[in-house]
Amino acid sequence: MILDYILSVYVHSKCIHSKCICIAVRNPQTIPTGGQNFFEYVLEFIRDVSKTQIGEEYGPWVPFIGTMFLFIFVSNWSGALLPWKIIQLPHGELAAPTNDINTTVALALLTSVAYFYAGLTKNGLSYFGKYIQPTPILLPINILEDFTKPLSLSFRLFGNILADELVVVVLVSLVPSVVPIPVMFLGLFTSGIQALIFATLAAAYIGESMEGHH
Amino acid sequence: MKNVTDSFVSLGHWPSAGSFGFNTDILATNLINLSVVLGVLIFFGKGVLSDLLDNRKQRILNTIRNSEELREGAIEQLEKARARLRKIEIEADEFRVNGYSEIEREKLNLIDSTYKTLEQLENYKNETINFEQQKASNQVRQRVFQQALQGALGTLNSCLNNELHLRTISANIGILAAMKQITD
Repeated sequence: MILDYILSVYVHSKCIHSKCICIAVRNPQTIPTGGQNFFEYVLEFIRDVSKTQIGEEYGPWVPFIGTMFLFIFVSNWSGALLPWKIIQLPHGELAAPTNDINTTVALALLTSVAYFYAGLTKNGLSYFGKYIQPTPILLPINILEDFTKPLSLSFRLFGNILADELVVVVLVSLVPSVVPIPVMFLGLFTSGIQALIFATLAAAYIGESMEGHH
Repeated sequence: MKNVTDSFVSLGHWPSAGSFGFNTDILATNLINLSVVLGVLIFFGKGVLSDLLDNRKQRILNTIRNSEELREGAIEQLEKARARLRKIEIEADEFRVNGYSEIEREKLNLIDSTYKTLEQLENYKNETINFEQQKASNQVRQRVFQQALQGALGTLNSCLNNELHLRTISANIGILAAMKQITD
């Protein structure tokens, strides 16, 4: 299951984003208007996040961070805004993909692999010397960190999205008409923030593993 | 997979849990709330988003315009500097040419004045030579006259006695009388 999700995220990053952007930026003007302006704005935002967190060599990682951010953001908001309950499935339901632990664990594992890859390609095998910085006594804690990072990422995202969805469902089943609306707005806000947090943390982990000991 | 085929088989039991279908309970599907939320989001979000994008566009426009103006300014300054350079080069050439002609003129002047000084010195030399020659010839004449007079004096002193002296005096008186007679 997790592998399916990992694959789907990879495909999403490579194909869908590039198709969207290619359609929007068919005729790039120097002074941007409309769709081009919007996509450039989003790109600048993601670039800013990566640059702040990773530092100088942020270039190759912008697509990855962008994928994380956009995938989670679009998943969360589409799960919160679109009326998926109209379509009924025999098993399971249609909702935000990120309200399933499998998705979030897949994303977190991807991030883990990404920051390992970043550290190893940058520093070689001396990347593992980072485990005994600053003192060798902290070695078990550093190893533990490698497990808690993806764990915390996945659970934070999963918990937030599932909780919001459950609250809205419960409120709708209790008082269908007006009361859920503020909670839905809160849900939109927090799910957007969660997407940003996930992307920022992923970039921070990558930056941290790339800075090594220089 | 087996579950999916089972659910296809049980499609005849519409609607029941465990089948594809449409949920037509509006309240359960939260359509009203969703549409309200979407409406508010689009209403306010459109304003905010277009503001953001307009700001960005204005910023880009201003940056481009500023850099264009700076470029124009820099090109103008370059042109001015080039014109000044050309003018100064022309003046430098003039100065150089003038300088050379000045040098030539000075050279000729110097040659002339030196020539004149040389001539003057020649004249002085010639005059001095003449003067010395004359001096020498005068000295020689004087010496000769002195010698002659000394010889005459000696001769006279040697052969002069009373008689001769008396005859000479009378002769001189006669000449003087004759001269006095002529002048009277």
